[in-house]
Amino acid sequence: MVSFPSRCLIRMIIQFLVDAISLGSFYALIAIGFSLILGVAHAFNLAHGEMILLSGYLAYFLNRQFSLPLIVSIPISMFSMLFVALCLERLLRRIPDPHELNTLVITFGLVLLLQNLMLMAFSADYRIIRPETRLLDIPVHGLFLTETQIVILTLSLATTGIVYLLLKKTFLGKALRATMQDKETARLAGVNVRNMHLIAFGLGGILIGVAGPLYARMAYLHPYGGMEATLVAVILTIFAGVGRIRGLLLGGWILGLVESATTLLVGSGWRELASAVILILLLLLRPDGLMPKWAKSTQ
Amino acid sequence: MILLIVWPWLVEQEGIHCRVIGMAFFYGCLALAWNLFSLSGAISLGHAAFFGLGAYGSALFCHYASLSPYLTILLGGLLGALYGILWHVTFRKLRGAPFALATLASVEIPKVVIDNWEGFTFGSLGVVGIPELPSLSLGSVLLNFGKDPAALYYLLLMVLLFMTLVHRYAMTSRWGWAIRAVREDEIAAAALGINVNKTRFQVLCSSAFFTGICGGLYGHLIGLIEPGLVFSLHISAVPLVLSMFGGRLQWYGPILGAFTLYPVDQLLFRSLLPVGHSALYGLIVILTLIFFPQGMGAWLQKHLCPASN
Repeated sequence: MVSFPSRCLIRMIIQFLVDAISLGSFYALIAIGFSLILGVAHAFNLAHGEMILLSGYLAYFLNRQFSLPLIVSIPISMFSMLFVALCLERLLRRIPDPHELNTLVITFGLVLLLQNLMLMAFSADYRIIRPETRLLDIPVHGLFLTETQIVILTLSLATTGIVYLLLKKTFLGKALRATMQDKETARLAGVNVRNMHLIAFGLGGILIGVAGPLYARMAYLHPYGGMEATLVAVILTIFAGVGRIRGLLLGGWILGLVESATTLLVGSGWRELASAVILILLLLLRPDGLMPKWAKSTQ
Repeated sequence: MILLIVWPWLVEQEGIHCRVIGMAFFYGCLALAWNLFSLSGAISLGHAAFFGLGAYGSALFCHYASLSPYLTILLGGLLGALYGILWHVTFRKLRGAPFALATLASVEIPKVVIDNWEGFTFGSLGVVGIPELPSLSLGSVLLNFGKDPAALYYLLLMVLLFMTLVHRYAMTSRWGWAIRAVREDEIAAAALGINVNKTRFQVLCSSAFFTGICGGLYGHLIGLIEPGLVFSLHISAVPLVLSMFGGRLQWYGPILGAFTLYPVDQLLFRSLLPVGHSALYGLIVILTLIFFPQGMGAWLQKHLCPASN
């Protein structure tokens, strides 16, 4: 009888950790695409969250109209987002200097455009892909995992792992990393930098296509909800630096823990405040976090 | 100019056109206030913070202290300026894109605090029943701003004229040249003996103050404010779009943007697309940056009077 409360507490803590880590892995998934595009093409994509929402809505309607399961709708949304991202690359290719600031302003315009288009097309109702409310009971610890959580955890970790292997183990990954580190030297070494831009945007689009349906499964879709996802991506990118997959995953877990703790301790209304404060603190502590070597060398 | 003064007599007094042009003046003021800061070279994506603080400051002072709205609007402006000081202190080292991101995030702080502090700010329900601007009697003329659109029209026109003078002063005076020097090259400006930090501080604070005043005015014009409305991305975006479209480096640029885009949005797009008509602003800023990076003002100047270049 004496050990009962403490066991209960431990179980609660483990449950909390599992929830936070599944949220954090999803955050890392959101951030990888943003960070790749920023690192390789030097483009701030503020519309990242809106694109995730867009693919979330796509998956939602595929699910509603044709009752397609997630496993089918994810490839479809991957291909459509690949297309959208390549269009975005064309749009951002020839904008005037200063490049980063102008991509920021253009994608800010894109945020407004997409938000209002989504408002027009999907209305301001909150939508979610209804999960089957099946709880998987893991007998050993007495933990509860929803099926959604398991899907999100495995898909996020698997995608993160694939991108990590792609960057570290393949020749293409080497070329991408070289472009990230120094564009001019990469060009001298025979890397086709234009193609690398296309590949980065394409990969980013595919990752958005994976994240969107998961988002629709995990949280409510609302046309104005995209900025939150973008802020998460920005926070993790500053924390880890561009293109650092392991750092992004670690940052995602920390952010997941902080946000879950905030929600638990002071209520869900303050969660947005936590991420905004973290972002500002990170920007103050690491003002160069978004600007890797290329920015310093040009100054 | 004369056309703008006699306009209410030309068209019907109660008409929607009068109201829309009046609101175009209002958004022109907002754009001028935003551009004041962008003259120093920084792009802010978070002016909604000043706007919302101004609106809430004014409405709550009015509610709790029962002061005259004219006074509380000024207090709202001061509250905006106070947040501007905070920006200046915390974001001193940031420039360019990181600065823009920080401003974007800093809107969330007052928004979430006001959203959750229900006892004092009424939380997400917002403040309703904000009193209208009280009437003023100028000699024999009674200006009833609440009821008479024409009176309101002239009030907003006066505010716009004042803001235009401030904006023009910030471009052509000695101070204006200091701002320009800071924008072009901070190190060179410092070498010329300009106090870069002080100039940025002055510009940011005046911009925040006037944006706060616009916010306070907005509360009294509309009569209702809520966190999601006054701290919205839309409020941060509209002055940016208007200034970029009109031309950031012309003294009349933001006004040009407000006079062309806002009526088009309200009269044309709103009737075509009741929901999501603000998509226009997003589209415009993308097209502007690709085709007219200097804005319409610069383009017109180049093509209409090539001699001046």
